[in-house]
Amino acid sequence: VTAPDDVVDVDTMRRLLDGVDYLADLGLATALFCALRLPQPLLLEGEAGVGKTEAAKALAAVLDTPLVRLQCYEGIDAAEALYEWNYPRQLLGIRLAEATGREVTEHDLFGPDYLVERPLLRAIRHPGPRPVVLLVDEVDRADDEFEAFLLEMLAESAVTIPELGTVRAATPPVVVLTSNRTRDLHDALKRRCLYHWIDYPDLGRAVAVIRRRVPAASTTIAEQVAAAVARLRSLDVQKPPGLAEAINWVATLDLLGLERLDDDAVGSTLGSVLKYREDLELARERGSAWVAGGA
Amino acid sequence: VTDLAVVVAAFGQLLHDAGVPVTPERSGRFATTVALARPSSLDELYWAGRVTLLSGAAQIEAYDRVFAQVFRGVADVAEWRGQTPSVLATPRRTSPARHDERSRTPPPADGRAPAPHVTTTTGPPGGPEAGPEGDGAGLLAAASPDERLGHTDLARLTPEELVDLRRLMAALPWATPRRASRRTARHPRGRLLDLRATLRRARTTGGDPVRRSFRHRTDRRRHLVLIADVSGSMEPYARAYLHLLHGAVRAARADAFVFATRLTRLTRALATSSPDLALRRATVAAPDWSGGTRIGDALKAFVDGHGRRGMARGAVVVIVSDGWETGDPAVVGEQMARLARLAHRIVWVNPRSAGAGYRPLVGGMAAALPHVDAFVSGHSFAALDEVVAAIAGVER
Repeated sequence: VTAPDDVVDVDTMRRLLDGVDYLADLGLATALFCALRLPQPLLLEGEAGVGKTEAAKALAAVLDTPLVRLQCYEGIDAAEALYEWNYPRQLLGIRLAEATGREVTEHDLFGPDYLVERPLLRAIRHPGPRPVVLLVDEVDRADDEFEAFLLEMLAESAVTIPELGTVRAATPPVVVLTSNRTRDLHDALKRRCLYHWIDYPDLGRAVAVIRRRVPAASTTIAEQVAAAVARLRSLDVQKPPGLAEAINWVATLDLLGLERLDDDAVGSTLGSVLKYREDLELARERGSAWVAGGA
Repeated sequence: VTDLAVVVAAFGQLLHDAGVPVTPERSGRFATTVALARPSSLDELYWAGRVTLLSGAAQIEAYDRVFAQVFRGVADVAEWRGQTPSVLATPRRTSPARHDERSRTPPPADGRAPAPHVTTTTGPPGGPEAGPEGDGAGLLAAASPDERLGHTDLARLTPEELVDLRRLMAALPWATPRRASRRTARHPRGRLLDLRATLRRARTTGGDPVRRSFRHRTDRRRHLVLIADVSGSMEPYARAYLHLLHGAVRAARADAFVFATRLTRLTRALATSSPDLALRRATVAAPDWSGGTRIGDALKAFVDGHGRRGMARGAVVVIVSDGWETGDPAVVGEQMARLARLAHRIVWVNPRSAGAGYRPLVGGMAAALPHVDAFVSGHSFAALDEVVAAIAGVER
């Protein structure tokens, strides 16, 4: 069990992440170290499939605390992100009280029993001693109003519920936000956050990550797939495959019992890496042999 | 330890000068991180700074440059950490060298070098400034600017007329079509039961929900994206359309891009109330003014980097260009097809199409047309009505 203060330096962070099967490079390890020790919310950006969400999961695993995930979408509001009252239960409570001749007060109805915790409140009410990791996923999908609301919560590590009063976090959560950059986030939000851009891993690290995630796969096939994915990225594809696609590909090959990545294997499994028809055509034009590493 | 504060502050200042908006707050975080993590290599120091001082991917290049100058070349980090310099003698990263290579080929993204050149060719920062253009001035004109400017070709405006024009453009009624939002609002005849409100009202009627409250789905305006061609062939119109972009960004929270040989996002640069400042920032941000036109590449860059991620989904996309493509027109067609699949509406504004006997025969234009929902000229202020109507989706 690791307390935040036990993570004395970036190297320790890296080692601990390694221990939970997440291979972080120096940059990401530094970012997570700062998020944990400063502490400060961390904004992670990067192409899809480079492991933004995985990073937050790994951090939670290191601390051995729950990961509280808030998936953002357009129109998300306080009732979905913070809390909601359990209305059916409140009505039942009133009826039950009437039937049994018991007195119910507003205090009873708007008490913790009838409160439905949504992710933000759950993260704030976590008793500790170690902080939860709060992952606010794809924050760019929510609208500006929600961003402002989130900002307030991040700044205070507290939320106010009219019926209950202010709930302050005993141990403030470690906050990781991810964005796909569909729109510019508000400056005020960015100002509060640390920032890290996750790049595609280099070949060596990609192989190491694949080996870690699909232990059944041989080194040969991990190396072949990592190299093939790098080659596909060099093509002018619409959606360049990332690490997640490479892992999927290896898992697919492993499932099919294929020992190595050759022309035929590429031909039959390319759909697990490239998800656009145009991209598939482009790769086929260039030749399965080229993708496999032959010519 | 006071030395650390000095070094951090000085480093922050250099970054600030290089265009990275480093706040004292961020510098403080950097200092705290250094004190906490005690970086023992240049790499570790590099990442500690990069994670704490930056707020976006666009700043990485400038950061790399300044970091290389300060820590890998001139200054020696070991001195203020009280270690022997030998520990740090061999940096593993080869960033400075790689950076030099890169910066030699394309013009620097944020460099000040191209600015004077741009100023002379396109004029926006210099021209209008000369005139008496304090807010509220220029009301003395006998004929209203509306009438005078109405049908003048935007390419032939004098600097004084441009000043009038931007006042008019600021008042254009930008309105994209509405679409259903995921948000709900209280509404007397809504169809969704509002439990929270109903129950609150029930408290006044002894717990019986006698009067029910309802909500309904709200709607909101579709996002507006403007992409303007500022290449050589469009140069006469570039100033006027920059005012248009500025107005749209301010009034309709639109996203704005310009392109000649490459695509530059101007939303940030234009998001200021001062038109002069906006135009000055825009010219610095986009270094390829009056260059050749690569519409296909610019559209591809837009769809790949922004549109597909969500900016163009269900949006109204306005492209201002004469369709004069120096690359392969087939690429324009391909990329327009991709864009058309994402966008709600594509409006193509071509000021040259107002000329008598205009036929869209230019390769790029012909390739783009099948994917365009509305094709308008927008060559004068009066003709901008058409543009506004096309954006709103109103058939004229």
